[in-house]
Amino acid sequence: MIIKRPSIFIYTHEADPTVVKDVCAGIEEEGIFYDVTEMPDTCMEKLAYKAARDSMLGSGVGIYGTAVCLKMRGLEKGRNIESYLEPTRAQCRCVGSNSARAIKKLPFKEEYRI
Amino acid sequence: MSYIAGVDIGNSTTEVCVGEVTGKGNVTFLSSASCPTTGTKGTIENVYSVKNALRMAMSRIGRDTSDIDLVRLNEAAPVIGDTAMETLTETVITDSSMIGHNPSTPAGAGQAVGETLLIENISRAVQGTPYILAASSDHSYEEVAAVVNQHAELDIVGIILQADEAVLVENRIHREIPIIDEVRRIDRLPDSVPAAIEVALPGQTIRMLSNPYGIATLLGLNAEETRTITPIAKSLIGNRSAVVLKTPGGNVHENVLPAGEIYFYGDRNVTISLDEGADKIMAAAESAGDIRDISGQPDTNVGNMLSRIRTGMSEVDKSSEADIRITDILAVNTLAPVLISGALAGETCLEKAVGIAAMVKTQKLPMQEIASRLTTELGTEVKVAGVEAVMASLGALTTPGTQLPLAILDMGGGSTDAAIINREGQVKMTHQAGAGELVSMLIQTELGLGERRIAEEIKKYPLAKVESLFHMRMENGQMTFVDESIDPRFFGRVVLLTEHGLVRIEEDIPMEKIVQVRREAKRKVFVTNAFRALRKVAPDHNLKNISTVVLVGGSAEDFEIPEMLMESFTDYRIVCGRGNIRGCEGPRNAVATGLVLSYLGEMP
Repeated sequence: MIIKRPSIFIYTHEADPTVVKDVCAGIEEEGIFYDVTEMPDTCMEKLAYKAARDSMLGSGVGIYGTAVCLKMRGLEKGRNIESYLEPTRAQCRCVGSNSARAIKKLPFKEEYRI
Repeated sequence: MSYIAGVDIGNSTTEVCVGEVTGKGNVTFLSSASCPTTGTKGTIENVYSVKNALRMAMSRIGRDTSDIDLVRLNEAAPVIGDTAMETLTETVITDSSMIGHNPSTPAGAGQAVGETLLIENISRAVQGTPYILAASSDHSYEEVAAVVNQHAELDIVGIILQADEAVLVENRIHREIPIIDEVRRIDRLPDSVPAAIEVALPGQTIRMLSNPYGIATLLGLNAEETRTITPIAKSLIGNRSAVVLKTPGGNVHENVLPAGEIYFYGDRNVTISLDEGADKIMAAAESAGDIRDISGQPDTNVGNMLSRIRTGMSEVDKSSEADIRITDILAVNTLAPVLISGALAGETCLEKAVGIAAMVKTQKLPMQEIASRLTTELGTEVKVAGVEAVMASLGALTTPGTQLPLAILDMGGGSTDAAIINREGQVKMTHQAGAGELVSMLIQTELGLGERRIAEEIKKYPLAKVESLFHMRMENGQMTFVDESIDPRFFGRVVLLTEHGLVRIEEDIPMEKIVQVRREAKRKVFVTNAFRALRKVAPDHNLKNISTVVLVGGSAEDFEIPEMLMESFTDYRIVCGRGNIRGCEGPRNAVATGLVLSYLGEMP
């Protein structure tokens, strides 16, 4: 039996380290595990789609450069929960926090107070 | 052959019914429509809604309003309902002595007592004193964690944060202490005062700070001080975390507001204070017997409210101002969440309140004026015909399975009316204050909603919780799956299932709580009023003498009120149910239908 830790997947490609850090902080605050993996795709949506597909929790974040996108498994192409091309720090936290809230079945945050 | 239209102007809805009458006296109902009433019932502004409703009804049969031969207007009961809410108690916290707080992600668990210490002043701290560290959002979680770890020699027993970073800080520090975050007004937190902080274990709620003696234990209070912090403890019940500060000049009061007295003038004159609560007020109203008028103590909340209703009515009936009287009130106990003045994170406290619906009566509404205005604007004959209750009974009789004697309960927006029509066709009727609008007001205040519109919708539609992007759970536990993903804005929220799709409830209130408040509000108003009204019209004032009750009016359309009434009437062996006017209209349109039917009796 293979036991894997249930975690949110973050697929990145040449990602901005501050964006990654704040997204991770958002997830950590909600108390859920995450895994960051570098992938060859150069599209935030594709990264997010694959991350959501591969995560056993069904929630994934894609980060390409500064662009960040949140998806859940089963969402149609072109429909994201949330995405930003150049997010602020609060927006990064929000994406992280919402990726975790999606699993906890809590309403999404619309603004994040840092 | 001619087209006859019946028009019923109600407190909140105007309804019309169009029928075709042949020379032989046969009537065929063709169409009906309803739209919101414009202006106060019985004023000239009603003309717009009447015209609008007639246009809607006629366009459904492909005709124009000019084809109508006769419009029959109801002799509307000269009663208007109005509602108001008064809070009886008020909690005031001076000098911000508490933070009752419920962030979604506090960290750590347990209680701690210490002196507050702003992170900027950490260099001033001395060993041996327990501290509760407070950091504004200018300090990142890494900074806060670093400071705490650096000063391992200091006795830091708890942390208060402005940012939502409690877990982040906890994961980076080397000690296990309770941490509370998302305290918005941290700038108002005083330095160097004793404070107690508590975070509950997962799945539990706080125990110490929601208990007056717990606070007394933690902060070392005497008996007198313990009495004053009781409201704080009360408002913290159910929280996952809380902070209580002891400021030197700080104080908390539970003020009892002078709400004023209500005077009943009836068979006996009775005076009752609003503070006594709804039950006592209703008992006083009953003991006053036949009420001629009701007024309130001048310059008090209730006095102003009652005189406001009176002036509102005097605008409708300008002719005989002296003869406008408040003839009934319905008082309902409720709890209203009120923002605590002096709180640090926008906390609310449940305050006792009384909701009141009052009913104003005048001699006669100026229906004739409306009729003549309609005649000129439509170019058809308009006639004021028939008393509302009689017409409603006539209309209700078109419900399959009914016969005389029959009682109707007309539950509208502003008032609950009851009428009994016996085998001889004699009608006895009554009007009671309090109906749909009072229910909306109760829902709005008890849930602390910002808008009346949302309360109206909560009253009308069932709830569901969106549990994933592809399914939701209804309030009765049933699950519904959808093909296309639900908009993420609805995810995790409580929504209303309206005919126009989902409507999100902005406030973070559990679905069960909303359901409970909604049902309770409906029960308090409609069940109370149904008994009050029917007892007044029943032969010998005994409900057992009534055999059938037909529910009509807008509120009878509700998805749960008729069931509630049916349940409460089972003890009296009364056949009670939602009317179905003409076998197709449901409980609406009874008066309008009655107006068309009554034309047959008047035919030349």
